[in-house]
Amino acid sequence: MNMASWLGRSRSTALPPLLCRWDLDKTYLRSEFATLRQLWRTARERGEDKVEVPGVPEILKGLHAAADRRGRTIGLYFISASPPQIGKAIRDKLALDGVPYDGIVFKDQLDHLRRGRIRLLREHVGFKLVALLRGRLAAASGSRELLFGDDWESDPLIYSLYADILDGTLAVDRLAALMARVGVDPELRPEIERLAGDAGGTGGVERIFINLERRTPPAVFRLYGTRVVPTFNYFQTALVLAAESYVDADDVGRVARSLVERSGYTPRRLENSLADLVRRRLLAVDSAELLGAPLRDAGLLPPSGIASRRWFQRMRAAVQQRRRRLVSAIPRVARATPLDYEAILDRLAAARASA
Amino acid sequence: MPTIALDAMGGDHAPDAIVRGAALVSTTTDIETLLVGDVERVQAILDQVPYNPEHLAIVPATGVIDMGDDPREAVRTKKDASLLVAIRAAADGRADAVVSAGNTGACILGAAGHFTLLPGIRRAALASVYPRQTEHEGQDRMALLLDVGATVRCEADELVQFALMGSAYARRISKVHEPRIGLLNMGAEPSKGGPILVEAYRRLREQTGINFVGNVEGHDLVRGKADVIVCEGLLGNVTLKHLEGVSGALEDLAKAAAEQRLVWRVGLRLLSQGIDRVQALTDYTQYGGSPILGFDRLFIKCHGRSNAHAIANAVKVAAKAVRDRVPDEIRDALGRMR
Repeated sequence: MNMASWLGRSRSTALPPLLCRWDLDKTYLRSEFATLRQLWRTARERGEDKVEVPGVPEILKGLHAAADRRGRTIGLYFISASPPQIGKAIRDKLALDGVPYDGIVFKDQLDHLRRGRIRLLREHVGFKLVALLRGRLAAASGSRELLFGDDWESDPLIYSLYADILDGTLAVDRLAALMARVGVDPELRPEIERLAGDAGGTGGVERIFINLERRTPPAVFRLYGTRVVPTFNYFQTALVLAAESYVDADDVGRVARSLVERSGYTPRRLENSLADLVRRRLLAVDSAELLGAPLRDAGLLPPSGIASRRWFQRMRAAVQQRRRRLVSAIPRVARATPLDYEAILDRLAAARASA
Repeated sequence: MPTIALDAMGGDHAPDAIVRGAALVSTTTDIETLLVGDVERVQAILDQVPYNPEHLAIVPATGVIDMGDDPREAVRTKKDASLLVAIRAAADGRADAVVSAGNTGACILGAAGHFTLLPGIRRAALASVYPRQTEHEGQDRMALLLDVGATVRCEADELVQFALMGSAYARRISKVHEPRIGLLNMGAEPSKGGPILVEAYRRLREQTGINFVGNVEGHDLVRGKADVIVCEGLLGNVTLKHLEGVSGALEDLAKAAAEQRLVWRVGLRLLSQGIDRVQALTDYTQYGGSPILGFDRLFIKCHGRSNAHAIANAVKVAAKAVRDRVPDEIRDALGRMR
């Protein structure tokens, strides 16, 4: 389904439309392409051969179902740097997983190959910014966005650039300088600048979820501010989404159940994931307790876990004055200036050099 | 998978090296580690390194037993110290074993206060691994010396129990099918060493299920004559410190020589690859730590100077000992004791 048909489904509702955009490889799929052999194998895989990251189909279904329950219009899109030639396998896989989605954008890698532009095969910033901005301009006005990526390449950078463009805090000339430093395809830069000019100032990116597939240290993401939420698994993602009312406790339960029943997770592993979120202040103690209670009842968390721990009780005592309700532990982004992209790019360059 | 309680605040490089070691284990194994210590400090270190939260829990402990603390006093007064909270986690069944690089005396006293001695065991033993030559096929590059300080003076009965415990541990952890057991003494003859050692020699000769090779002397320690060397704590501690001292002195001598004459420096440089290989073979960090044997729960005591790599290996050794049911092996060996 394209963006226009998604718009056709828009409904009048108190909640603004929600646009969720997902990276595919390493975020939805457990793709391996560190070597040429793996790349070749990935390219030849059929839908049934592809393996999803545990819990991710349940998150997508949960986002969709929760939006429906709230009468909220939702659009789920994938933006993939893979070539369109593997589109059938991807669509087959999504159908097998029963994932509702509204569209996929692929990168025309063959064109780069044909023109001998090998470096651009791995440069995704330009391609993804174009896809995000085009999608945004086609979306209903006032849409809010959730973006999902991983820690393998440049997702936090791309999504943050995009969010700052929408917020109107990243001026076009600054954007141009950053694109030059990143090495964005020169042919794409004028279009990105034009799209940024058209879409800028509308705001709308609420959270950027980064799946820590490489186990990148969480502190690395401090440069990106609180809009970026690094999570180690989709149970953690589901908990934060629930605390911010994008999904419900039942949806979190379905993610947890799928991890336990299909991916070898134990209640203890889920418990440790929950506690980690609280320690990293991505989930409020109250929310952890409220969301954890039904999971304990269902046997998906140990019966006497985090709530029985003294440090947890101490933290809870500190918030006892407040009425118990689901609240986000993460501050909303309200910046008048863009992120320090020079520092971010310096860090990315250092990481690449050390790799 | 086993759950290992790790004293995050104990050791010369705690909590940094300890937490980094636990993080390393979390990303490479399925072992669950309970990091016991200051939650905020531990999480602040975790934030800086790759880790897998699914295999890590943090148990709060507000106190720390310092390396210079009097062990008896510290164990009596610092009830919320990370070491004691970790030991209680194992005693309560939340963890299967404890690992600490902290105050050795407090580790032994803490374990004695919360764990139960295996049936028939009179005293616990602190064992230590150290590098040595090998003379027989299938020998480990590391030998086990016990006791090295848990029980200062011993009776013959206790030395026999140490031999059985050391043999069981070496069989499981070093995978030496029939570890060679030696009794540290001042001569090879059975009559040497005074009444306790003579009696211990006689009793060890009679034991079935262990491979007693007789008395071993000081110069045998670094040879492959025995895989497990048994002695009282005082002697074991002096021996261990002596071995460490000689090793350090050799290193200092080499450095001094290199500074004095160019030709020696060149010679050392030519030998450097070989020296590195020898160092790698005998690197204590590969072996993680030393077990405190005799309790129903496992305790691995790491070197106070342990780095993250040594801590990670100690946690793996503890998990292996749990999986291989070392306490059960010791219990069975003691059941056969004569």
